[in-house]
Amino acid sequence: MDFLRKYMYPLITGIGILVALLVFSLNVPRNREANGVERSTLSILSPLFRPVSRMSGFVEDIWDGYIRLVDTHSENLRLREDIRVLNQRVHEGNEALLANQRLERLLDMKKSVKAPTVAATVIGEDVSSWFRTLIINRGSANGIREGMAVIAADGVIGQTVKVSATTSRVLLLTDHASGVAATIQRSRARGVVKGKGEMLCTLEFTTREEDVKVGDQVITSGIGGVFLKGLPIGEVTMVKRGEYGIFQTISIRPAVNLAHLEEVLVVQRGGYE
Amino acid sequence: MSRRAAILLSGLVILSIVIQVSLLPVFVLPPFKPDLLLVIMVFLALRGSFETGAPLAWLLGLLNDVCSGLYLGLNAASFLISFFVIKSISDRLYADSAILFVLTVAGVTLAGFTLNLLLMVTFTTSPGIAYSMLSDLFPRLLVNAFVASLVSAFPGFDSKLEVS
Repeated sequence: MDFLRKYMYPLITGIGILVALLVFSLNVPRNREANGVERSTLSILSPLFRPVSRMSGFVEDIWDGYIRLVDTHSENLRLREDIRVLNQRVHEGNEALLANQRLERLLDMKKSVKAPTVAATVIGEDVSSWFRTLIINRGSANGIREGMAVIAADGVIGQTVKVSATTSRVLLLTDHASGVAATIQRSRARGVVKGKGEMLCTLEFTTREEDVKVGDQVITSGIGGVFLKGLPIGEVTMVKRGEYGIFQTISIRPAVNLAHLEEVLVVQRGGYE
Repeated sequence: MSRRAAILLSGLVILSIVIQVSLLPVFVLPPFKPDLLLVIMVFLALRGSFETGAPLAWLLGLLNDVCSGLYLGLNAASFLISFFVIKSISDRLYADSAILFVLTVAGVTLAGFTLNLLLMVTFTTSPGIAYSMLSDLFPRLLVNAFVASLVSAFPGFDSKLEVS
């Protein structure tokens, strides 16, 4: 008895360790199955898990949705600003691309013109709707004089009138006071392109016998010295030969969209003081 | 005209020109561009004095011509004639009335069209321009009247322009 009393604690410790190892070694082969102890324990505790889990979710929601969102508002504002800046860059990029395409076409036209030219930007339009003129940002200081031809990438626009030091007015093809000596490209029939207002022109003084058809291209004839020969003016959209009269009525749609002009070239040739 | 009114008027005229030349053409079709200078001229004719109003009306017309068409002096003449006509009857009218202002602007638009057409047919060679002018007349008249109605809604429209 004295022996047991003396060595009780070491014995219990050893037996405990031995039992623990035994339990462990017995459960090692069945490590994927729940034994009775496990099942019972889970069954007892599971009713407690659910509300605690819900509570944890609630706390987590509060944590994630409110406490951790202290900086979200400022982050949201920053991201919105980022989006705005990026959208602006995309817009500027698109604008630059379109300007590049327009200027590339204008450059092609500039190369094809056998005379010095000055590039100009349209800065204004006629205040009245009765006349068809534009204001460009180049004037006599840039070597522009009245009566010089103004062209765009697609063809003739008109000619300069009322030139000041820094700006010039351009009388468009479609103005009633405008007149350009022209030729039908296919048949070489001649006439004068006169403005009709409303973005349209007519080819006048073309006799009935001349061969003109709808779809024919109208180009400058070079007569008069203002416009170089062969520049596109427009396309014939209507031909009418009446029973009487010596001329035919020909309508022309200008090659250039005069309503949306931005960059133009002034041909520094001819003109008058 | 007082110094303040002169500065205000100059600013208004410059602003109107800039709007008509550079801003409106981008957003508005040509027939729907209002004649802002004409509206200012009518305001001067109804509310200003004869001595300062007459040269100003002519100058406003001249300014309109500088930014429009080929014929310098065309609108200057029609503005001045319109001014004289309005001035001759404005003393007998209640010139502070907003409705009168709108009606006068519409009437001057019509009169301006007639005078300009008459002057151009008489003195220039612009065949076919009558058709363009006529086709634009109705929308122009409505737009000018609309602008006049907006002007009359401005606070201070009732206040006197001239300071004796």
